[in-house]
Amino acid sequence: MKVFLAALVFAAITAVGVSIVLSAIQMPSYVAFSTSGARVGDPGTNLVGQDWNSTII
Amino acid sequence: MPSSLSNLRALTAAMVLLFVFAHPAAAQLSFKPTAEAVQEDKLLNALKEGDKISGRISIPDVNAANLIQPAGRDWRDFHRSKLPIIGGVAIIGMFALLAIFLMVRGRIRVDHGFSGTKILRFASFERFTHWLTASCFIILALSGLNISFGRKLILPLFGADAFSAMSTYAKYAHDFLAFPFMFGLVVMFLIWIKDNIPGKLDVLWIKQGGGILANGMHPPAKRFNAGQKGIFWMVIVGGVLMSVSGWFLLFPYIPANVTTMQLLTVIHAVIAMLFIAGIMAHIYIGTVGMEGAFDAMGTGEVDLNWAKEHHSLWVEEEQAKGQAPSGTTPRAVPAE
Repeated sequence: MKVFLAALVFAAITAVGVSIVLSAIQMPSYVAFSTSGARVGDPGTNLVGQDWNSTII
Repeated sequence: MPSSLSNLRALTAAMVLLFVFAHPAAAQLSFKPTAEAVQEDKLLNALKEGDKISGRISIPDVNAANLIQPAGRDWRDFHRSKLPIIGGVAIIGMFALLAIFLMVRGRIRVDHGFSGTKILRFASFERFTHWLTASCFIILALSGLNISFGRKLILPLFGADAFSAMSTYAKYAHDFLAFPFMFGLVVMFLIWIKDNIPGKLDVLWIKQGGGILANGMHPPAKRFNAGQKGIFWMVIVGGVLMSVSGWFLLFPYIPANVTTMQLLTVIHAVIAMLFIAGIMAHIYIGTVGMEGAFDAMGTGEVDLNWAKEHHSLWVEEEQAKGQAPSGTTPRAVPAE
């Protein structure tokens, strides 16, 4: 059981580490693939807003 | 008046010249738009594999200049029609086969019963490598299946919001757990390659069906039998194909173009379905299908009688090296 848990922890730590490294060395897709003039809002949101079901943006 | 006449002559000459030189061009432009214009279907069908209709853009994404790429329709059709069939046949078919096998053959028992004496089968580091690769594989498989089938199977059950959130995290897990999976794959290859070279003994094992088709028949095997070697090489070859194709998908368009990307997704998806089906058989025989087998990767130690039945030559080697108990005699089998 210890070996199994150790493997899970190692996998999780490696995955998080890789995500941190790649995030540091790679450009976000909204920067890599578009100019600022093509962006309509803050990355991560959209024209609809956070709440897709709300009528108020 | 003479001047006017001269102007008229010059104008006439100019018109004649214009007619003479312009006529061929005028003839070229005199097509009938409704009858002779290129039909969209004809245009798309005329494009060869990999051809594209492109325009000019000013944004950094050069691929956005591709307006039409007919091969994309084939790729979309593959994912919508052929891939579900391949995946369904491979995964559901394997599940059905294993269920039938379990019903017909039953659980493979230790013929001589458990001796109570243990022999170390896998050291801690080997089990660590196995579980590292296996746990990553299960997450990769489930999140990958969600990419292929989630929209049809899970979205209707949980709704758009829950499915979207789940798929987002599943995609993160798929992307980043690929790295410890690849690491585990390399380590697994290095530590087990020496015991997985195919040999003549494997032919004999295969001829006897691995001894799993009938009770009391156990072809001799070293540390890994032919079935386990098959799983090993399936994992290595399948893992490499998945890793290489997945690497290009993780870093899109470096250096592949859109046509290559489409080919890579097809390879990634098809190999994944076959890979999952193969691992289902591995999980079955290591748990439900064979008594005593899970201990090998559970505690690392297996019962000596189990080891003698399934890996007789390996037990002899271990006993010769003094790394295994040697006094245990298989319990007598009652006459049937």
